[in-house]
Amino acid sequence: MRRRAAEAVCPTVVTIIQDPTAEMARFEPLIDMMEVLVPRVEVIQPGLMLIPTTGAVSYYGGEGSLVERVDKELRPFGTDHRIGLGMGPFAAQQSARLTTDERPIHIVEDDARFLADMDVAALDSDDLAATFRWLGITTLGAIAELPRDAVISRFGKQGLRAHDVALGLDRRVDPRVILDDPTVVSRFDPPINDLEEAAFVARNMAQRLISSLSSHGVAPHRVVVTAEAADGTTRSRIWRSSDPFNDRTLAERIRWQLRAWIDGVSAGIRGGLVTLILEPADLSGSGRQMVLEEDAKSFEETQRALMEVQAIAGMDNLLVARPQGGRDPAQQVLWERWGDEPSQPKHDPGAPWPGGIPSPAPALVPPEAVRFEVSFVDGIPEQVRLRSRWVPVLSWAGPWRSVGRWWDGETAADRYQIVTSAGAYLCEVREGATYLLGVYD
Amino acid sequence: MVAQLQHEQDIPIDPIQGVHVESLAIEPGQIAGLSGMPGSGLTRVGFSLLAPYASSGHVAYLDVRGWANPAAAWEMGISPERLVVVRTDDVVSWSRIVATLMSGMKGVYAEIPTGVSDVVLRKLAAKARTTRTPLVLRPLDGAVPSGVAHLRLDARTITWEGVEAGHGQLTRRRALLDASGKSTRGMQRTIEVEDDGTNDLRVVPGLVAEETRRFA
Repeated sequence: MRRRAAEAVCPTVVTIIQDPTAEMARFEPLIDMMEVLVPRVEVIQPGLMLIPTTGAVSYYGGEGSLVERVDKELRPFGTDHRIGLGMGPFAAQQSARLTTDERPIHIVEDDARFLADMDVAALDSDDLAATFRWLGITTLGAIAELPRDAVISRFGKQGLRAHDVALGLDRRVDPRVILDDPTVVSRFDPPINDLEEAAFVARNMAQRLISSLSSHGVAPHRVVVTAEAADGTTRSRIWRSSDPFNDRTLAERIRWQLRAWIDGVSAGIRGGLVTLILEPADLSGSGRQMVLEEDAKSFEETQRALMEVQAIAGMDNLLVARPQGGRDPAQQVLWERWGDEPSQPKHDPGAPWPGGIPSPAPALVPPEAVRFEVSFVDGIPEQVRLRSRWVPVLSWAGPWRSVGRWWDGETAADRYQIVTSAGAYLCEVREGATYLLGVYD
Repeated sequence: MVAQLQHEQDIPIDPIQGVHVESLAIEPGQIAGLSGMPGSGLTRVGFSLLAPYASSGHVAYLDVRGWANPAAAWEMGISPERLVVVRTDDVVSWSRIVATLMSGMKGVYAEIPTGVSDVVLRKLAAKARTTRTPLVLRPLDGAVPSGVAHLRLDARTITWEGVEAGHGQLTRRRALLDASGKSTRGMQRTIEVEDDGTNDLRVVPGLVAEETRRFA
């Protein structure tokens, strides 16, 4: 209804002119607050935002806890907020519309079932809703039952969208736009020759880079450090971390790199440093959403400690392991250097692996099979030599025959689980010799 | 059941009224010293002591022998993402590595190489108390010096179930451990623990409280 027509009907009506700019300015503090709770929200319009909950649900310990936390944080801004939770944006918005002042929170368990009884007017398209009604289709559930091809041919893209939302197949939340080029560049005149001066500048640059990215809820897993010398030569190095860098860890890496370049034997920056560039890559999609017990401070301390240990013990001696398939205990573990990109398992962990050694796993497994003295009598293990003494075998399981890849030259072996009074051992007999595969410690 | 265990193990068990070690656990900043040959079951005991801390952060295993099998840690409740293994047999850098790990990890299991002095271990114990990091020490030779460990566990015997004359497979184990230190109020006790490789290690109730001084 136009203003004049409204005033004709009701002369005392007060007209409020919509001002989206002012509304957005008032809504901005809520968005900022919400991005502290959950990174990368999508703002639909002033007063309406979508919050991706995939990571946040595990962080806050469940949907109910998350919604309660959001509700609690919104209260200082007023009590007229509404919260709906659904698998997709459409269901979430419809859910929010069902809330009341008394019950400002509504959680949808199943989008398709929730939407099935909803009127077609919920599609926010009067023309489309009118057409569906004319065809005798009044609910979203009825739309969902229509053949998809028929809906596309009759209603086109708009109908396809209606069919998708009716089925609960909605789009993903599209968060705020990330900076096109978050690269941080600093130029120095006169050139910097001193490491400490360069490191100080690098720390500021790291802080600028991380803070600009964190305002968008992301952090870099990889940073390219590029230094340009006064003589025109350029050196570049990629630093990568399995967990996103923060300003401190990044500043440390840059310092190490600059030290290598400036003080190193190659004396790589001739004439001094004139340009330093930090270029982030592999931005984490939603930041790193830690579980509730794992606070950010302890996470930083862990990263820092592990980096220091890596420097002391060597890159190859700080390891993480992942399960993979295999028959032997040694095969069932995939070792990787800490900080390296996770690699694909060599052996499929989902495969059945017949003949595999059953659990429990031996707690100690030699990196290579070592000789183990076992005395057999008529094929039955009798005694085991532990250090300098022979210990009687109390019981044993096996032999379990392992044929191996004979076409690759692997020989057949018989495996035994041997129990003595000193412990249990996993060993194999091949080519007349006994080898220790593991100790059940 | 006590009689049965006495028969099987040929170990006199003399329960003391009212004294029970209900669970095997160490608090933040406390140190557990494990002594026993490989095969005595102490590695899993160490993992079970640290497993509760892996729910809130990373735990580290300092592997001196290079024989660590993380699958055993996973079975004891430490998730693969939360376990970091450091391999070193260097006596000189060992203490630095342990101290550094304690500054950032939620728990540390460290094998002690031969040649580490008692002074170094006492300094690390002080560091553990300062950083409130639970520390499990497993010397490759000998035992953790007295006064360092809040809980000392010495392996006495271990029995396995599930295998017999070539049949079956290892399923369940029971270990008798001599516990001493501040956590047992200075008295030496024998506790029995059992696990089947897929659950947390359990202290067997009712059998855990006996004093061994009288026949030590």
